[in-house]
Formats: sequence, C-alpha cells, structure tokens
Amino acid sequence: MNKIKFGFPWEYLREGAVELFKKVGYEVEVDEHSYRIEIDDPEIECITSRVEELALLVEKGVIDVGITEKVFILDSKAKVIELVNLDYGYKTLKRAKIVLAVPENSRIKSVRDLNGKKVVTWIPRIAKDYFKKHGVNTEIEFTNLPAEPKCPSLCDAIIEFVNTGASLRKFHLKILDILMETSPWLIANKEAWKNKWKREKIENLAILLKGSRLAQEYAGLMLHASNEMMEGVLKVLPSLKKPTVTQLRGENWFDVLTVANKKEIRNIIPKLKKIGCRDMVEFSLNKLVI
Amino acid sequence: MRDKKIKIGIPKGSLQEYTLKIFKSAGFDIDIPERGYFLKIDDPEIDCFLLRPQEIPKYVERGKLDLGISGDDWILETKAKVIEVCDLKYAKKEIKKVKWVLAVPEDSKIKSVKYLQGKTISTEAVNLIKDYLRKNKVKAKVEFSWGATEVKPPRFTDAIVDITETGASLRAHNLKVIDTILVSSTKLIANKRAWQDKWKKEKIKDLALLLQGVVKGEGVVNLTMHVPGEGLKRILKVLPKLKSSIIKKIAGENWYDVTISCKEKETRELIPKLKRMGCEGIVEYPCMKLIP
Repeated sequence: MNKIKFGFPWEYLREGAVELFKKVGYEVEVDEHSYRIEIDDPEIECITSRVEELALLVEKGVIDVGITEKVFILDSKAKVIELVNLDYGYKTLKRAKIVLAVPENSRIKSVRDLNGKKVVTWIPRIAKDYFKKHGVNTEIEFTNLPAEPKCPSLCDAIIEFVNTGASLRKFHLKILDILMETSPWLIANKEAWKNKWKREKIENLAILLKGSRLAQEYAGLMLHASNEMMEGVLKVLPSLKKPTVTQLRGENWFDVLTVANKKEIRNIIPKLKKIGCRDMVEFSLNKLVI
Repeated sequence: MRDKKIKIGIPKGSLQEYTLKIFKSAGFDIDIPERGYFLKIDDPEIDCFLLRPQEIPKYVERGKLDLGISGDDWILETKAKVIEVCDLKYAKKEIKKVKWVLAVPEDSKIKSVKYLQGKTISTEAVNLIKDYLRKNKVKAKVEFSWGATEVKPPRFTDAIVDITETGASLRAHNLKVIDTILVSSTKLIANKRAWQDKWKKEKIKDLALLLQGVVKGEGVVNLTMHVPGEGLKRILKVLPKLKSSIIKKIAGENWYDVTISCKEKETRELIPKLKRMGCEGIVEYPCMKLIP
C-alpha cells in the first residue's frame, strides 16, 4: 500500500498539531512514554521528531511531510517545500517572535553595543547572519535549553522565542530588537512532491489541516431577519462567504446562515440585534475551506 | 398513585466519562456529589446511581434498576437476563477498541488456545473464559484475579485473559496476545418487567432515542458549500447519497448553495475533492444529534 511518512513535532508544537488532526476527523493516540503517535489512516505512518531536527529529516526524505517551526527551517537551512503556514503558537493562536534581549539594567542599548560580547541562543546560524548583517563581531554560544536563566551570569544578551513576554519579565530582561516572527509550517520533501500519489495525499492533508486551523478562528452564525431588514443585514455581514438565505415558509422572514471571524462576531451580533434580527445562534466549526 | 420514576445505573470507571458526556449532549445534566453514589439528574422522573459496570447487569436483571449502561463483557460474564435496548458504541474508537485478549509470556510455548489443556488462566471474567474454553474444547483451570492480572505470568499463572485498549501494558510486561476473545461494546440494558410497564417502556425508549442520536451524531457532520452552476451535476455525483441534502440556487448568480450531512471520516476524502472541483466556502460543523 502507498504510504506517506508524516513527521509530528514533539515538545511544544505537538499538542497543537494533534489538535488540528483531531479537528480534521482523525483519531490520534499519543503515547508519551515511547514517543509514539498512532493515527487511524493506514496511508499515514507517523514519525516523531524534535522540532529543531524535523526540517532536516524532511530534506533527507526520512519524513515525507511534517510540521515544524519556521525559524528552525531557516536555522537548519534545510531545503524543503514550505506548503502552508499553520500559524499556531504554544497554547495560544498568536505567532511567536524571535527577539534579541538584554538585562533590564544593561548598558547595551543597541545591536552595535554587542561588539566583542557573548550571546546565547537556540538558533546559532540565524544569530550569526543577524550580527554579520549589522557588522558586529559577537561570540555566539549554542544552547538547547531556554536561554533566559543564563543572562546575565553567562552572557551579555540572548536571542530567544517570545510568546507572551512573561518569561523575559521573570528574568528581568528587555527586548532590544525583533529578528523575525515565526510559526509552524507544513513542509514537504522535494522527491515526495514529485511522486504523483504522495503529492496528492500531501495536498489533501494541507487543505484539511488549513481548514481546521481556520475553523479555530471562525464561527458559524444563524439568524432570522425580515424582508425589510435584509439589506442592512447583508451590509453588516462579512463578505468572506456569501450568506445562505432561505425564506421561511409562508412568512416575510428569512433564515440567514454565514461564517465570520470570532472577533468580528462580537461586533456583528449587537449590530444585528439593533437592526431587529431574531433567534441568533453562533456555533463552532470543524473546518473552513475558502 | 405509583411514583412515575425509572432507576438508572451509570457505570463507574472507564465508561463513566463517556456515559456522562452522552447524557449531557442528550440534554441531561448529571451532577456527581463528592463520594456520592446517588447522582443528581435534572429530570424528576429519573433516579441515577453510580455503580461498578460489573454489577449493573445483575441489578438490572433483579429489578433493583430499571435501566443500566454496561459493556457486553459484563453482561455476558454475569449471564444476566436483561433486554438489550440499544448499542451505544462510540463511533470514534477505532484505535482504542476495548478487547478481551488471551495473552502469554513472549517466550511461552503456548501458541494457541489448544495448548492451554491443563494449564492455569487468570482473569477477572471467569465465566467468559470458561465459555470460551468450552467452545474450544479445552480443559483448563480458570482462576479469578482481583486485578493487576498482567503481572502474574509466568510465576503465578500460565496465561491471562485481560482487557486491553492499546496493548501498552501487555507489552510492558513482556506478554504477547495469542487470541482475541471479545471486542466489547457499550449497551443500554433494561429490566424485563420494566419493559412490560407501559409508562416505563415509553420513558426508556425516549431516552434510548436521544442517547443513540448523540452516539450516531458523534461521527456525523454537516457540510455547507457554494457550488458553481457549471459543475453542479458532476459535484452532486461525488456527494454521498443522503436524504437530507439541500440544494438552493443563489439569486442572480450561477452558483448553488448545497448543504449535506455525512460521516466525519468521509470529509478527509470529500473536502479536497470538492475544492479541486471548484467548490468555494466549504464549511464543516458538527452535528449534535442524528435521529434517523
């Protein structure tokens, strides 16, 4: 049987990846102790990998398709096909940032002040390119643990991930510069992409995973509106997906069904209420494919 | 006037969470008081008790309970004479099926049930295994085990029959599965006399309809999409044939709005196909209950 090898990131990206697969409709079993993931699709073989290594395994073809953080694709300089930005963070839906941070009371005010100093980071290649670009000669030390506790006792600055900034505050560090934004991407091996069967399977997965990702940000909205209200209603509703309008039997009222960004819905519902809409129901979605 | 009430046994343990979930989705709120076995349910016509699933079939048979939820395994083990109202098998349980398996140490000479002649087998379900041995015409000693059965071979027993979901615990104890005795499902069972009482039967059937609706709805989703007019015929052929599909023309445009319900598992194949065929704005949302 034809099979693709799917690379699941272990560590902090795993939970979000498993959740997306579950929303697609897959049954996923994670065995914490033996680092195994099982899925109810005989065409998918699951391989787990450290987030940092996953892109290289995709380049080598050990994995056909997988999910890893953009910053690690860049840092490992892996030659892979970047398919879809899945755009989730650790326990949040916000993108993480890669920042240069120094102690709050540090005399270092800009990148240039780091000449001859020492920086600790997870992503040494990106750090090297960054300082080279600024013409600064800085010693870069690699760590595969969080760098925050090492500053200032072991180094002058760090290049780290920031989600909410809580960790930086805890260690009395401040952001000096933002290098880039990063988020998880679905990536594929180049050879696998040339194989007709694999490519179709990968493309299908990309559509489905992106669909479940979008559904986390959108919700469905159902309401009743009278004929006179319809013009106002259609103006208020977002244009992402044309609403489905059905006339209620024997009445001058319509049933309207649409989808909207959850954040927009907060503003839309009071507006619709003012127009006079009734029986508004918001419901969650499994997938949204635009 | 006789009190119009039915008494239900809710299984404590591995089936508990799922049972409470389907009751909740069916519209019943059940509250578990701390250390309480008398559950609060927001239906004055129902009394709820939390009991071990091993005991529920017997209590239903004796009429201590009118209705109960338990596994096939314990219904067979206790040989309780009850009415099977319906199956409440969880649709999303392909990987983690509850199986009763015959297992022996990895280096054991026992290759199949036939090798068990004269040996000792430990299990929590003695009757189930005795029936199985009889069927296979093997005479062996079946010993009741209070639990932690997988640690017993080879020192205390030759083979075990135990419940497994993923097989992880068996592997951890160097045991291999040589046969599957039963794949257990969850059942709603009723007392025979309660089934003859007109009011109770009605109440049980209503409840069964709702619970089964939830269980069937678990695996079913709704799909709404915009379909281009020129592709409509081709696309309708791809869609699973269901009675509930709705097709509407969008006023003033050559587009149609199509809503169907289908199995959640089908969407993995269907959605990419529909997108390739030109459908837009495909929205999938869960189905709360499905009453066929």
